[in-house]
Amino acid sequence: MDQENEINKKFQKELNAGTASLVLLSILSRADEPLYGYRIAKLMDSEDEGAPMMKQGALYPVLRSLHSSGLLESYVDPSVSGPPRRYYKITDAGLETLKTWAQIWDQTKTFVDRALKGRHHV
Amino acid sequence: MCKNVSEYLAKLKKELGQSVDRALIQDALSDAETHLRNALDEELSKNPDASEAMLLSPLIEKYGTPNEVASAYRTMEPHISPAPARISRPGKRSLLGKFFGVLTESGAWGAFVYLVFAFIPAVIFGGWALFAGLVSASMLVFIIGLPFFGGYLLSLRGIALLEGRIIEALLGVRMPQRPQFFQKSPGWWGKFKALVKDPYSWKALVYFVLLFPLGFIYSAFFSLLFALSLSFALSPVLELVFRIPLDLAGDNVFTPLWLLPFVCLGGLLLLPLTFHLAKLFGRLHGRFAKSMLVRK
Repeated sequence: MDQENEINKKFQKELNAGTASLVLLSILSRADEPLYGYRIAKLMDSEDEGAPMMKQGALYPVLRSLHSSGLLESYVDPSVSGPPRRYYKITDAGLETLKTWAQIWDQTKTFVDRALKGRHHV
Repeated sequence: MCKNVSEYLAKLKKELGQSVDRALIQDALSDAETHLRNALDEELSKNPDASEAMLLSPLIEKYGTPNEVASAYRTMEPHISPAPARISRPGKRSLLGKFFGVLTESGAWGAFVYLVFAFIPAVIFGGWALFAGLVSASMLVFIIGLPFFGGYLLSLRGIALLEGRIIEALLGVRMPQRPQFFQKSPGWWGKFKALVKDPYSWKALVYFVLLFPLGFIYSAFFSLLFALSLSFALSPVLELVFRIPLDLAGDNVFTPLWLLPFVCLGGLLLLPLTFHLAKLFGRLHGRFAKSMLVRK
């Protein structure tokens, strides 16, 4: 049972590694204003009706990776009550990349769906 | 089960271990602290009577256990490595190729630019560390000087982060991208004591005081080497075509014709040598900066 759980966790982790960037770009492209990490995590939670697909702590290194690739821009705003917050905004390059990634995702989804349906006919 | 944010951060630090870059550890701790404190503040405003431990448990469940979060940071780290380190990966080359190939390496150019312009952070950061330090320390004789001195130590953390970003961009050394916080101490006196007791406040001070002379030495040395190598390499064109003497001794004498090829060759060798030296000094300075500005 534990081994099965480990395998499922590993599969979920591998899936998340690729899709997290796409989901974060998508959320930031729809936002009217720059968002900080905790707010993005809350938005992801609200869009996820079932169990969360990924842990909130895994978002931050992905945000940093997108930022270092030039797909996001950011600034720090000191918060009155707590630590300073880093706000993220999608760049023009990020919007272009999102379009391409969305197409790649559609193709991947179609391919996987076909493969999963075909499974019953083998 | 963690009773408070500090306990969670300590566990996360332990999970990240000694093998990962200390700049990554600071980033991961900073992200976790910002997130959990923001979340905790929001939950506390809804349930003012609830204990921190009770509210923290579901927040950690969503954020991830220290083990899960450490694993996520380790996985993503190769995608966030400093720019020059990512671009500058020379393949197998002959000895001659290695010697002259340094001129095509972005890492060497980054180090060269940092060292030539090192007088700028030396003036701004080093100057601030020295003169603002002297002023705020002299104000300590009055009780009103305490907040000024605390503010000065805090400002060193800010410029340490800024210097780190410059070092990462130009020297390719992974430095923290997030500021280091210190635990939520009650009141300004608690914060002041935490700042004064933290050895990294003093290490940053020593670093910036040393940067003041070091920056000028780097700039003078590498500008001189660059100017010499260019003027030697171009000496045949300068002297024979434009009739401009090298004039090193200031006596307006032209180089003898038979010596010109050797001077030119010397310049052509000195230029890559300057960049090799810049790489070496850049690496050493990067290590020094990391040991002084980034928490272990």
